[in-house]
Amino acid sequence: MEHKKGRVRVMDETATVESPEVSAGTAGDWNPVERVILERRSVRKYKDRQVPENMVRRVLEAGRFSPSAGNAQPWKIIIIRDKAIIDEMERDIVRWCKIFKFFLDWRTSALGRTIPWLLAQTSIRVKRNQLHPIPFGAICLIAEGKLGAFHGAPTLMLLLEDRRGVSRPQVDIGCCGENMVLAAHSMGLGTCWVGFVELLKYGLKWRRRLGVEWPYRICEGICLGYPFGTPDGMIEREAMDVDWYEDGAMRTVVQGGDDGKV
Amino acid sequence: MAKFSWIERLSVPTYDNEVYATTGRLRIDHDRCNGCGVCAQICPGKAITIKGEGKSKRAYLEDEFPQCMSCNDCAAICERDALTAVVAYDFGLYYKKLNRGGFMPPRSY
Repeated sequence: MEHKKGRVRVMDETATVESPEVSAGTAGDWNPVERVILERRSVRKYKDRQVPENMVRRVLEAGRFSPSAGNAQPWKIIIIRDKAIIDEMERDIVRWCKIFKFFLDWRTSALGRTIPWLLAQTSIRVKRNQLHPIPFGAICLIAEGKLGAFHGAPTLMLLLEDRRGVSRPQVDIGCCGENMVLAAHSMGLGTCWVGFVELLKYGLKWRRRLGVEWPYRICEGICLGYPFGTPDGMIEREAMDVDWYEDGAMRTVVQGGDDGKV
Repeated sequence: MAKFSWIERLSVPTYDNEVYATTGRLRIDHDRCNGCGVCAQICPGKAITIKGEGKSKRAYLEDEFPQCMSCNDCAAICERDALTAVVAYDFGLYYKKLNRGGFMPPRSY
């Protein structure tokens, strides 16, 4: 490999892709990258065994070369491999979920039914994404101790958002994280996005302890570890409609369907 | 494509009313299921419970408001292909899904 300033030229000709034109495949005919993408599932049970440091470094490299708006790379990554710290974070997330459940869950709250109901109806209109029925249900499950936040993963990656990033820094963090997730799964590791780390930004405790200061803000978390069992595999997903404009006409194409031209 | 009415746009569903919510539904083949419980452990909505004793252990979807988001992680981890999501979750009114169809496996073109 010949290293030039600013770029790496691959000298091995066999490493290049044979042809940019992808031939129409038969069923089950996927290249290795597609296979990793299609088989990636969120892993919610991990083995205790720690991930070797070099594998985490390899995963981080995949994130470094992800696309970002204006090449601003508006992220900072914190790796936590201390079980004590991860457990303490989990306890604090449970505590925050209990507080939210107390004020918002009108079915069980000690405040009675009316006040939490009004609070929920008001705050859902302000924070419609955070209080969508799915995370609302997850808040209740975590507060009741039925659902874990980090699922016993030995390594946790925290993705911090640089709020000065170009246009939409959170999208760039999604790209960076997904690159790392796919790289991890290609090596046989398991990952799970943990949005609940967002709760850690509410108190001063974790911001002080992890040194999270302006312009950084805790955005997302990714668990990393060896999966328990074999969670990766292809599944069925809902097919979405795609509007397709071509040759002066519009047609609706269903993802995964056999309608229209192939 | 489904459309939003103004009433739907302004109405937020209350989660304890099943009139406004279609949660995911699973089809569980109890001839194949051996009640190992891995699906119940990894379910992000804790919608699966294991009932029964000894050899009659089987996975069941929660009867009362299962928080299944039809992610199909259970289908992927099940070594006996005993379960799969057949109904997608869809909360009504403001949160209703607009352009999602039925379940499809991945397909190469």
